[in-house]
Amino acid sequence: MPQNYSNGVKPIFCPGCGDFGVYAGLTKAFQDLNIDKDNLLVVTGIGCSSSIVQAFGCYGIHSLHGRLLPVAMGAKLANHDLTVVGVGGDGDGYGIGSAHFLHTARRNINITYIVMNNETYGLTTGQASPTGLKGYKTKSTPFGIIENPLNPLAVAIGAGATYVARGFSGDPMHLAELIKNGITHKGFSLIDVFSPCVTFNYLNTYDWFRSRVYKMDSNSHNVSDKSAALKKAVEDEETDYEKLPLGLFYKTDKPIYEDLDITLKDGPLIKQPMPTKEKILELLGENQ
Amino acid sequence: MASVSIRIAAANGDGVDSSGALLGKVAALHGLEVFGNRGYQSVIRGGHVWNQVRMGDEKLYSYGDKIDILVTLNQDGIKNQKGHLGDNAIVIYDPSKCNVDEIKGSSFKLLPMPLLDMAVAAGGDPIMRNMVAIGAILKIVGIPLSVLEGIITKMFSKKGDEVVKSNIKAATDGYNYKGVEKAYDIKGDGKPRYLLEGNIALALGAYAAGCKYYAAYPMTPASSIMQWYAAHANKGAFMKQTEDEISAINSTIGAATAGVRAMCGTSGGGFSLMVEALGFSGMIEAPIVVVESQRTGPSTGLPTKTEQADLLFVMHASQGEFPRIVMAPRSVEEAFYLAANAFNLADRYQCPVIIMMDLFLSEHFETVSGFDVDSIKIDRGKIADPAKTQGRFKRYELTEDGISPRSMPGTKGMSFIAPSDEHNEHGDIVSDVLAGIDEHIEMRIKMHEKRMRKITTMLKNEDVFVPNIQNDGAKHFMVTFGSTTEVANEAMIALNKKGLDVGLISFNYLMPLDAKKTKEMLSGKHLIDIECNFTAQLAKVIMMETGIEMPDKILKYDGETLNCSEIVERITPMLK
Repeated sequence: MPQNYSNGVKPIFCPGCGDFGVYAGLTKAFQDLNIDKDNLLVVTGIGCSSSIVQAFGCYGIHSLHGRLLPVAMGAKLANHDLTVVGVGGDGDGYGIGSAHFLHTARRNINITYIVMNNETYGLTTGQASPTGLKGYKTKSTPFGIIENPLNPLAVAIGAGATYVARGFSGDPMHLAELIKNGITHKGFSLIDVFSPCVTFNYLNTYDWFRSRVYKMDSNSHNVSDKSAALKKAVEDEETDYEKLPLGLFYKTDKPIYEDLDITLKDGPLIKQPMPTKEKILELLGENQ
Repeated sequence: MASVSIRIAAANGDGVDSSGALLGKVAALHGLEVFGNRGYQSVIRGGHVWNQVRMGDEKLYSYGDKIDILVTLNQDGIKNQKGHLGDNAIVIYDPSKCNVDEIKGSSFKLLPMPLLDMAVAAGGDPIMRNMVAIGAILKIVGIPLSVLEGIITKMFSKKGDEVVKSNIKAATDGYNYKGVEKAYDIKGDGKPRYLLEGNIALALGAYAAGCKYYAAYPMTPASSIMQWYAAHANKGAFMKQTEDEISAINSTIGAATAGVRAMCGTSGGGFSLMVEALGFSGMIEAPIVVVESQRTGPSTGLPTKTEQADLLFVMHASQGEFPRIVMAPRSVEEAFYLAANAFNLADRYQCPVIIMMDLFLSEHFETVSGFDVDSIKIDRGKIADPAKTQGRFKRYELTEDGISPRSMPGTKGMSFIAPSDEHNEHGDIVSDVLAGIDEHIEMRIKMHEKRMRKITTMLKNEDVFVPNIQNDGAKHFMVTFGSTTEVANEAMIALNKKGLDVGLISFNYLMPLDAKKTKEMLSGKHLIDIECNFTAQLAKVIMMETGIEMPDKILKYDGETLNCSEIVERITPMLK
């Protein structure tokens, strides 16, 4: 019997919010993979998107703004038998949490990170986001954004993520596939999702995205070629945001942190025994 | 009691610390008590560093006020250390490296030794100057050379026979050098002791308590805990070096929520970055342990110097209110036991426990005869029983004692949400669409009171939240917390010998405080506050909790530790 991944609590998204598409995509991915929900931990940050954790019937940590990746990392390293999925927004992950984004990616810890990228700060009622496009006017940039937008895909590939993809919440079925493959991928995976904010982002609307996104063709893009992946990742800028590729940009198989770490090789920390008296005395003995 | 303080002074990179450690080891193995400390700077090569080893035939509480034997490898050692020399100090120096003009005609006993030439003659490596000097010191203090020979053989065996032989020769030549004579007679009891720094004792205590996860970003003086965990990664001590302290504490919260005993550590600067997450752990009731080893602040301050000026900060860090436990070990030995207990308290009360160290306590070394490992009992606190759970699990169940049984991810049918927002018993947040609605206002009150009730419960169930008293019935009492306690203890003994009726009240647990019992203990006594900061933070805590004022204060904030004679001198006019 398929598992029910809802606990009856609804996310707080506005009617029409792109994040519903991500909710649908995530739920479908969990269902298709039939992930044991007692062994599933979803970790979110703070922002509209992060309220999603409240809706799942699995274990969840609704952490601080920007800190979901360290929390997810700690939980995964403590018990790497858990399936750990991090879900947050662009301000959370690419702004205040950007250092964690880089370093969790380079560690190649086996967690899946989904970013609902609406290119705005929604829950604080519409300020500029790190992925906001130049010229876009927000409450904090009434004369238009003058900074360059962050390119999360290129950053993730550069930082060492081993699975980098982009979906669109207007196509939850496609997104669900990307998430599923991200979860089954062994290593750190980023799935950036265009997720329109229907309340505050007047620029990056569903229509705006629909007229620009296209699905990459696996025949024309080699996902194991890092240079090609980076080239694809900068297509947004190079086409002046007229062409926005969706799908898998990069995938490589590299040893994961949990397999390389000398302590974790002996199994999940939580299952390792408490130290014996003999062991403690042996370590004390080093001080003689 | 007989003791002798030996200081080795040179530049960074000259092997001063390893020489001090070796000397301490020899004394500890010989069955002497050892108390050592080091003075160093935020520089990798050059500068002026020292390592002081005090050895004695009874328990020592400080590294000694004055230097009895100085070994200096350069001119700076004469210049910078002459003010610290005892009246009859022996000064061992290499005439090829420094002259003693500036201390000529003093009462010091000058002992020139061609340390470098002797090192070269013994085997060639100039670093062996230290070994020559150690040989000479052993002769002076009356420790047989054979103790050192045994250690050298063990220490250098991997480097080959030649290295062992040349080091033994260097030490022997120093021991037998003309003019080097026995000047002290301190007899060891033959029972070997362990020699540990505070951070190592703390790490061992955490390990013994089953702390399997340690996260940190490098920062003096906490880094040696990180390095101890890293070095024992193949013994089940997992260490994660993170990109910053924010990540260190948040990953610790993640690990603790997943069910593993977890700790992070830093100094004041890093703790400042951890503050938001400290409140997060309070809110989601994650049992974490945080080490805060203070150095001289504010800001980068004096990174290699000590202070006790973060007490009020640590006690009150974070927005909002939540239960926390703050402890401050008073000695190297106590760092072991308090660290172990920190994990039981964290698990029992599901709240952050902060261990306050400082540079001095973290990095100075003391002998211990052993640790009572059998006394370390692991208590994981209240864990929910799936068999007795009906319906959706209430992770934050409103209970009488404020403690809600928890479950670990992976347990069937016991899922919950741990939210940084205010929440109901399931962990569903009441902060957005439910905020301000009557029944949820009610929930906020109930949930906040539930968490805060844990303070009452811990005060009721634990007997540690009161200060410790020595010389009960004395006329005057020194009042200390943490690392200042040991030297105050030595001062108390010195004052008592002078016929002054002084006792000691020391705090090793600072938050929560059993205000009633603390007040009972402190009331009606002449109290002298002794702490290493400017604003008398312990005195403020005592005032806040008990209303008792302590007009007499001995405060120090120069980055150095208090020493015994300084306390005796400053306290004497207060003892009327």
